[in-house]
Amino acid sequence: MPPHEYGDLPVHKMAPGEFNFQYGPSTGGLMESVGITLTTPGELINSVAVDFSFKSRKLNLRGKSIRDALLTVERINGFHAASNSLAFLMSVEDALGMEVSEEVQKARILQLELERIRSHLEVIKRLCEPAGFGVPVNQLGYLREKISRIISRAAGHRFFFGANAPGYCSVSGSGINEKLREAGKEFQRIYAGLLESKIFLNRLQNNGLTRDNFLTGPAARASGLRYDSRIDSATLPYGDTPFYPVIREEKDCFGRFNVRGEEILNSIDIIASLGNIKETGKPSLQEGDGQGCARLESPQGDIFYYAGLNNGLIEDIWHVSPGTLNIRAFQESMKGNIFTDFHFNWESFGIWISEVGVVFQ
Amino acid sequence: MSNFWFGEGIRKGRKTEKFPFAQPDDPPARPSGLEGSGEPYCPTEAIKNGKWDQGKCIFCRLCEPEYQPTGRQDIFSVKKTEPALKKSFYIYKLDSGTCGACNVELGTIFDPQFDANRLNIFATNSPRHADAIVIMGILAEGMREALKNAYEAMPEPKLIIALGACAISGGILGDSPMVREDYHVEIAGCPPSPYTILEALARARGD
Repeated sequence: MPPHEYGDLPVHKMAPGEFNFQYGPSTGGLMESVGITLTTPGELINSVAVDFSFKSRKLNLRGKSIRDALLTVERINGFHAASNSLAFLMSVEDALGMEVSEEVQKARILQLELERIRSHLEVIKRLCEPAGFGVPVNQLGYLREKISRIISRAAGHRFFFGANAPGYCSVSGSGINEKLREAGKEFQRIYAGLLESKIFLNRLQNNGLTRDNFLTGPAARASGLRYDSRIDSATLPYGDTPFYPVIREEKDCFGRFNVRGEEILNSIDIIASLGNIKETGKPSLQEGDGQGCARLESPQGDIFYYAGLNNGLIEDIWHVSPGTLNIRAFQESMKGNIFTDFHFNWESFGIWISEVGVVFQ
Repeated sequence: MSNFWFGEGIRKGRKTEKFPFAQPDDPPARPSGLEGSGEPYCPTEAIKNGKWDQGKCIFCRLCEPEYQPTGRQDIFSVKKTEPALKKSFYIYKLDSGTCGACNVELGTIFDPQFDANRLNIFATNSPRHADAIVIMGILAEGMREALKNAYEAMPEPKLIIALGACAISGGILGDSPMVREDYHVEIAGCPPSPYTILEALARARGD
């Protein structure tokens, strides 16, 4: 989002007796640099303002070739590099009118679901951290690293960097189903333990209740919305897999935790149904003109790319990050909570600032 | 319920690898050392005049097959060590404009496979308690003051560590937060692997 649009975010007018408590932009308690202003009369939080402009990055993409632009797009959100690079490539393929083989599309689903498993594990781990829940924190961290190693072997890089090109995918699914099944069993045991822990659940239930339907991703599905771009994907063949949207009605941190937990298990089943994925297609330098767009379901929610090409070079590019929508929802959901609720609620949305504070040049 | 988690902790047993006192159990192919010859296309000019600058490399594979990854994880340089910090080494993480991947990999060294705490390496939430600042990402303009303030708040002796291609050289995304001469330790990679980070930090405090 360009900085001049930051002003669109809701602004709270301070009431008598209130003061501002500044948290961030740089502190150990936050994964990324972000400025958070809590307005409070003492304990209750009456307003939260999230300022993601601190680490707003200006990235040069216009005028670059597709190959060079992809290197930058992969690094918009490194933890969700597969989602960003595949949405970008699908918009390029749409612009060029390229046909993409079913094998490549299946290999893309493999990447997206592996990324979803790892991302959801990270969110659940970070939900356990403020509860001081050491054993599940470490066990979930262990599992997340296990998935990173599966990704590294499958894609040649722990974050899928360099694994994709228009119409091409250098990902191999050989031997990963057994490892994923094993990881799935380990996760089910941890997940069941967390669902039995009343102290942990008390921190999540009724914390961060969403107030409207301006949501995307697990946050939307935890609020009873049947919103998942995998349901109506025009290009990725999710219809041939056991995918189902996980919907919960709670609207709170527990609902978002619950959706992510169930989606990890569903993603393992989706990957198992894809069969043996091998490196497919051939990378080639693409040239041509056109405009195209694509959307897909990243672990955070719906991600959208538009690409305008001129003679194989990027003439114009836009993207919409799910974080943009969910930051507003987070701000609204914090009203009426207290500071100890803050970390649980913030982590439950799984927002990545790197992706939101990007300006394309 | 408390018995359940106690039992789970015991049941899983020891998961920590012996690295850096033994070879890595599962080193990634990328990032790792690169070997080859010739002048292939390199978007960051990490390969120039037949020489490879690991601090500029983003491991994008565009130089392959002329250059190939070796799997070597020791792709870091240490210009200054602080043996006084050997028994207790606290790092402060500063994200000056990352894509998030460096943040995750730095956090991974505290996961059970690596367990940086056993090497007396800890993370602190405040620069006032830090022995080293680990800078990650390009310099986003909004983070310039935060970086300066964090550095000035740290007590002496202090180390400045650059984590990843963006912090070292700007990588492919922009400008680095500091000039390379100012860093005491450079940890290469995009992002660096946890093996590389762990060994570099251990060496920085004089191992």
